Amino acid sequence: MFGLFEHIRTRLLRRRRRERVSLAALFRQFQQVLELNNRILTAIASMHDKLGGDYIFDVQYLRTSKQFIVDTVRELIDAFDAMAPGRYPGLYAIFRDIRHKLESEMERRPVLPDVMAMSFADIRLQDMDAAGAKSTRLALIAEASAGAVPSGFAVTTSAYRLFMELNDIEDEIVRLEKAWRDGAMTVQEASGKIRSRILAGSIPPRVRRAMARELETLRRGAGEGILRLAVRSSAWGEDGDLSFAGQYESFLNVRPEDLHDAYRKVLASTYCPAAMEYRREYDFKPDEVFMAVSVQAMVEARTSGVVYSLSPVRLGESGIEIAAAWGLGAPVVSGEVPADHFLVSREPGHGLLMETVAHKATVLRPGPEGSVVTEEVEASLCDKPSLSPGQIRLLADTAIRLEQYFKKPQDVEFAFAPDGALIVLQSRPLRMEVCDDPHSPDLSDVLKGYPVLLSGEGDVAQQGVASGPVFVAWEGRDLEEFPVGAILVAHLSSPQYAAVLPKASGVITDIGSPLGHMATIAREYRVPALLNVSRATLVLKEGDVVTLDAEQKTVYQGLVRELRMHDYLCDHMEETYEYRLLRRMLKLIEPLYLVDPEENNFTPQGCRTMHDIARFIHEKAVEILTEIPTSSGAAEACPGGRLELPVPLDLVVLDIGGGLDESCAGDGDKPGHRRTIRTDQVRSETLRAFISGVTSEGVWQSQPVPVDFSSFMSSMTRTFSADSAGVSRMGQNLAVVSDRYLHLSLKLGYHFTLIDCYKSEDDSRNSVQFRFAGGVTGAVRRSRRARFLAEVLNGFDFSVTVKDDLVVARAKGWMARDLGRLMRILGLLVAYTRQLDVSMVSDSVIYEHCQEFEHIAEEAVGN
Amino acid sequence: MTGTSKTSILILDDEPIVSKRLQPALEKKGYEVESFYESARAMARIRERTFDIVVTDLKMEGIDGMQFLAEVKKLSPRTEVIVITGFATMDTAKESMRKGVFDFLAKPFKLGEIQEVIRKAEEHIRLGE
Repeated sequence: MFGLFEHIRTRLLRRRRRERVSLAALFRQFQQVLELNNRILTAIASMHDKLGGDYIFDVQYLRTSKQFIVDTVRELIDAFDAMAPGRYPGLYAIFRDIRHKLESEMERRPVLPDVMAMSFADIRLQDMDAAGAKSTRLALIAEASAGAVPSGFAVTTSAYRLFMELNDIEDEIVRLEKAWRDGAMTVQEASGKIRSRILAGSIPPRVRRAMARELETLRRGAGEGILRLAVRSSAWGEDGDLSFAGQYESFLNVRPEDLHDAYRKVLASTYCPAAMEYRREYDFKPDEVFMAVSVQAMVEARTSGVVYSLSPVRLGESGIEIAAAWGLGAPVVSGEVPADHFLVSREPGHGLLMETVAHKATVLRPGPEGSVVTEEVEASLCDKPSLSPGQIRLLADTAIRLEQYFKKPQDVEFAFAPDGALIVLQSRPLRMEVCDDPHSPDLSDVLKGYPVLLSGEGDVAQQGVASGPVFVAWEGRDLEEFPVGAILVAHLSSPQYAAVLPKASGVITDIGSPLGHMATIAREYRVPALLNVSRATLVLKEGDVVTLDAEQKTVYQGLVRELRMHDYLCDHMEETYEYRLLRRMLKLIEPLYLVDPEENNFTPQGCRTMHDIARFIHEKAVEILTEIPTSSGAAEACPGGRLELPVPLDLVVLDIGGGLDESCAGDGDKPGHRRTIRTDQVRSETLRAFISGVTSEGVWQSQPVPVDFSSFMSSMTRTFSADSAGVSRMGQNLAVVSDRYLHLSLKLGYHFTLIDCYKSEDDSRNSVQFRFAGGVTGAVRRSRRARFLAEVLNGFDFSVTVKDDLVVARAKGWMARDLGRLMRILGLLVAYTRQLDVSMVSDSVIYEHCQEFEHIAEEAVGN
Repeated sequence: MTGTSKTSILILDDEPIVSKRLQPALEKKGYEVESFYESARAMARIRERTFDIVVTDLKMEGIDGMQFLAEVKKLSPRTEVIVITGFATMDTAKESMRKGVFDFLAKPFKLGEIQEVIRKAEEHIRLGE
C-alpha cells in the first residue's frame, strides 16, 4: 500500500514538474548539479593523484573510489533530468555503457580498444593497451624525432583476444595454468599444451583483413624492393615491458605469405615456460595476459647489435655499452656469436673507454626464401671493428637521447643500413640486476656524505629521482631556453610549464598542489615532481647540478649517482597490478574529450568518460538557466534585474540563491516587471570583483576605432549561429549568480564571452573557466586577438587552449584560490578586448597590447 | 636489536604494491627489509629469526591477519607490529590495539605517513632496550 501510494505521488509530481517547473525548484536542481559536478571533479583529481607514487593503495581503494564516482555521476544525471525532463535520454545509456566497462576492469575483464591492426604512424601513447609496449615505443620515438625506426604495424591485443575466442582456447589456458600453479603439472607440460592449441588455431577473418590492409601499405612503401618482415612480440602492460631478451620470440625475414604462421608462433611464445614463470612473479592475473604483435619491415643490416645506455656490468662506472656484429643482430642479442664490444663515456663527446674486437667468422643474413641463413664473413672483415668511431658516437648520442625521452636507462636494438642510416629496432627499459656486493657501502650512509639543500618539505606529485642543472623559471622568463634534462624550479606550479615538462628531468616549486594541472602532466610523463617546497627558488641556484629525490622530499647538491642507480634498480609500483588497474580505470573516468560545445561531438553520444558526462551536463544546465529571462513561459518574476553600471554592459542578473540582497528577490505582485539593481545590492563576491574589473576607469574601450572597409565587408559575410560560443540568444548579456556560483554570458560587439566560476567553502576547490569567440574583422585579426588573450591568460596562470578564434582558459584548485583577483582580471580583459580585433593590424601589435594590459592589470589588481 | 646495527622489518601483504612501494623506500633509509606476499611463508620466516618491526595487512587469503599478529607477539613480544588495511573500522582498530599493535594505518596512506610510524616504532624499541 505504501509503495503504491508513493508511486502515485511520484507520478503526480512528475506530471506537474513536466508542465512547469517552478523557478525555485529549478534553481535548487541547478545548485545540486553544480555541487555534484564539483564532487565528481574532486574525486577524479584524487584518484589521479594516486598515480604519483606518494600513496600506497589497494584494490579495495580502487573499488570504493570507482563506486563513489559512478554513484555521483548517476545522481548528477538524475538531478539534470529533473531540470530538463526527458530532454537527453541518451545520457543514461552512455552512463550504463561506461559503468559496465569499469565493472569489467574491476572483474579482470580489461576493456581493450576495438581495433585489429594499427600502423606505427597512427600509434600514440594512449594506444599502449592496443598496440603493446614495443610498437608504441617505436611510434613515440618516430613522433619525437628521437631516432629513425622501421615502418610497420601492430596486430593488437584485441586481435589476440578475438583469436583466442574464435579458437576456444581461453578456458583451456585458465585450466592448465591453474593446474601448474597448484603444482599438479610442470610448467613445461602446461606450456606445451597451451602452445600446441595456439599453433593449431585459425586466424579470425577480421584480423586477416586488417593484416592484409597494413601489408599493402608496407608493400607500397617498399617500392621496387622485396618486402620482408620482422615479427616480434609487443607485450601488453601499461608502461613496463616486463620481458627480457629472448623471452618472447621474434621471427626475422618473414615473407608476407608466411605472416599468419609467424603471428601464431609469436602468440604461442606468450606461453613459453620462462614467460609463465615471469608473469607469476609480477603478479599478472591469468586474465591480464594479452599479446600484441609488432610487424616491421626488415632493415637490410650491414651491422647491428645492442646498446645499453648505462652499462649494467660495471655498476660504478658511467659508461654506455655497445655490442655489435656484421649482419643481422639476433645472434648478438642472444649472445650466440662473438661480438665486438665498446664501452663509451656517457659524457658529451662520448670518448671510447674500452674496445674489444672479436673474431667474427660467421654472419646472419636474410635467406632468399624467407628465414635467415648463416654465412661466412669475408676474411678482411673478420677481425675488423664492425662499427666506425662515427657510428659509435651516433649510437651513444641516440642511446642517451632515448634514455632522456623514456626517463630510464634503455636497452636498444639497432641496425645500420647499407647506406649508413641508423635504425632503432627496439628500445625498452634496461633491466638491471641488484648487485649484492658486501663491500659496497650502505646507501643511507653514502647519502649522508652529500650536502642537502632542501629536505622534509613539499608534496609529492610524482615520485622518482632526477638529476640535472637547475633552470629557475622566474616571472616572464622565456621557456624556449629550457635545456633537455634540466630541473625546472619555479615559484608556482603553473599550467604554463606543461609544455617544457617532457624535456624536464624533474620539477620543484615553492607553491603548488598535487591535484593541479601541472601535477597531472608531471604524472603523465612520469617526471619526478615535488611541489609546495616554499623556498626552492631562494635556495637553488641557476645552472647548479642537483639531485631530487621526490619520494623522500630531499634535494641534494650535485649528481648523486648512487641514488639514481638505486632508483633504476628497485621495483617500481608501475609494475604492480593495482597501479595498472588504476590507470585503466582512469582512462574511462578522467579524460575530457568534450571541450568545445560547438563541435559535432558535444552530445550524449559523444561522451566517452565520466568526466565527459559531467561536462556535458554542466554546459546544458547553464544553457537552461540562460533561457529563463527571455522565456515567455516564466510564470514567476525572475529574482534579479538589470544591473546599473557606468559602462554600457546592459547586464541582466539572475539570482539563483544568495547572489543578491534580499531586496532583489522576486516580487509576485509585479510579474515580468524589470527591476534595476545597484552594485551595492550584489552580494556575490565574484560578481562584485568582475564588476570592479570591467568598470575600472579608463579601460572600457569607449573610443570607437575606425573600421576599415575590408574588415567591414568580411563582417557582412559572416553568419552568426544562434549557438555560437554557447550563447543561446543574440544580444543578451546575462549573469546567473548564487553565493558561490557565477555564470556570465556576454555579447559585446560581435564577439561572445562566457565565464563560469565556482567558489568552494574553503577556497581549495575553486574553479574558473573562460571562453571567448567571434569578432568583426577577418580571420587573421581575430586569431591575433585570440593569441593576445592566450598570452595574457597564460601569464595569470590559466591553462589555455586556442583553436582559431576560440579561446578556452581554465584555472582550478590552488591557481584559483584568489577568485576575486582572477575575476577582476577577467573583468578588465572583457573591457579591454571590446573591438580590440580592429586594431590587430600586425603580429607585433599583439605583444604591445600584452604589455599595455599587464600595466593596466598591475595598477588595478596589484598583480 | 639483532646482530647487525640495522633495524629489521618484515612486510606482509598479499597485494604486491605495498612491498614494491615500501621496500625500496625503507632500504634507502637504511632499514633491512624482507617482503612476503603469502602469510604461510611469513609465518615460517618469523620462526626462523626475529624482526624488530612487522608491517602486516589484516585481511588476506589463507590466514586472518589477527592470527599472524598474535603469533608474532607470542614469538617475540618486543617486536612492534604495525597494521595496515583497506577495511578500516573502529572495531578492527580497537581489536588491533588490544592485541598489542603499535599503530594502525588505513589504506590509502602516504609513504611519508608509514615511514613516520616506523620511525616512532624504532624509537620505541630503542627506548625499551
